[in-house]
Amino acid sequence: MDFLNSSLAATPLLLGVQPAASELGNIGFITNSVIVGLCVLGIVFWFSGKATKNMSLIPHKAQNLFEFLVEFLYNRIEAIVGPKQVKLAFPLLGTLFIYILVSNWFGLIPGVGTVGWGEPTGPLSVKEAHDPLFRPPTADLNATLALAMSAFLVWIYLTLREVGVWGFIVHTFGPKGGLKGLMGFVVALVFLFVGVIEIVSIVLRPMTLSVRLYGNIFAGESVLHTLAGLLDKMGAPWDFIGSVLIPFPFYFMELLVGLLQAIVFTLLCSVYIQLSTAHDDHGHEEGDSHH
Amino acid sequence: MNLVSPLFGNVAPVLAASGPVGDMIQKFGLAWPKFLAQVLIFLAVYYVLNKFAFGPILAMLEQRKQRIADGESKLEKIAKDLAEAEKNAQAIVDKANADASRLVTEAGESAKALAERKQQEAVHEAGQIMAKAREAARLEHEQLMSQLKREFGRMVADATSRVTGKVLNPDDQARINKEAAAEVSA
Repeated sequence: MDFLNSSLAATPLLLGVQPAASELGNIGFITNSVIVGLCVLGIVFWFSGKATKNMSLIPHKAQNLFEFLVEFLYNRIEAIVGPKQVKLAFPLLGTLFIYILVSNWFGLIPGVGTVGWGEPTGPLSVKEAHDPLFRPPTADLNATLALAMSAFLVWIYLTLREVGVWGFIVHTFGPKGGLKGLMGFVVALVFLFVGVIEIVSIVLRPMTLSVRLYGNIFAGESVLHTLAGLLDKMGAPWDFIGSVLIPFPFYFMELLVGLLQAIVFTLLCSVYIQLSTAHDDHGHEEGDSHH
Repeated sequence: MNLVSPLFGNVAPVLAASGPVGDMIQKFGLAWPKFLAQVLIFLAVYYVLNKFAFGPILAMLEQRKQRIADGESKLEKIAKDLAEAEKNAQAIVDKANADASRLVTEAGESAKALAERKQQEAVHEAGQIMAKAREAARLEHEQLMSQLKREFGRMVADATSRVTGKVLNPDDQARINKEAAAEVSA
């Protein structure tokens, strides 16, 4: 009932950004970021259908745009993970890029993060909307963690598929350099220690990926909200003018940040896959020479 | 508004933790249901893109790449054929030029030989004409001389007959003709 009462008071309003996504209604997993996630899903579905409908060798506009995007991503990812892994890794990495990019830019649409529920001050106004209707998924740690964990699981699958469990252990902990005797023992201890550090860094990857993305997008949202509310205390019409003009240049910066964060997330996942699936030919040759 | 979900909020609202980590999880709203909902949305996006976008687009890109490669190979073949055709055409032109030069040379030589032959034929014919003319003149001279001798003999015989008043017999006429002819020849 609270939700219904609050919906009556829905109105555009500049709000402070809460660190957590707001639940909508009484169903716990329906948050404002889930709503936007579903919107992103709808956009992707609609545009995919539009781009791939009546495809021809001479592409129409939507097909051309999507082909450019897919080809650009495929070539970049192939340059990192190699022609063998790209066939397996591209669907995930391409999806990550597109989902993050659309989510980030969705957050810049007027109304996203500013229309919501709060303490009513009038029929269609609230003093401060604590619970926006829309919130970009990339500004919700649940979503960024979901993306990072999905990438992590695929990374595990690709790594074990390519090098196997033992290959991964040797790749991580195995000494390199081919030294023997006391120095070889010391080097082996060093590489064992390095391997432990590597395992820690691998375990932390989902957290670093998710927090990096979340932090950047959440910070961008906060900056825009703060700038938009700078002249609120001056009253009309300055609060309205200030809320439009002051954050305006920063929208371009956020467009760039949204693109960069999508690229960073995707390329880091590509690099992780490449690091663990690349065969250390030099090391293998040395290993073979010992036999 | 009560944001705590009655469905999940009191059962498993957040990852079970306490202390600073628990506070942080609480602050950022981490919860399994929300996390799983985001995973499901991402998987749905993955399914949609993989089925409706990446597959057809990559197939189209591959088809276009193949088409371009085919076009390139055809272009190379056409260029190769063109070069071959140009080479053949040049060879034909060169051969035609050589043949033309040879024909011109042969025609010149032939014309020269023909001219020489015609000249020789003309000289020969002129010589023959001259010889025939000389022969005809000689025959005519001989004929005239013979006729003159005959006339002269007849006139001598006639004069002798008139002077002597005697009819000359054939032997006398023959002797007088012979003597007259000898005088004329001398």
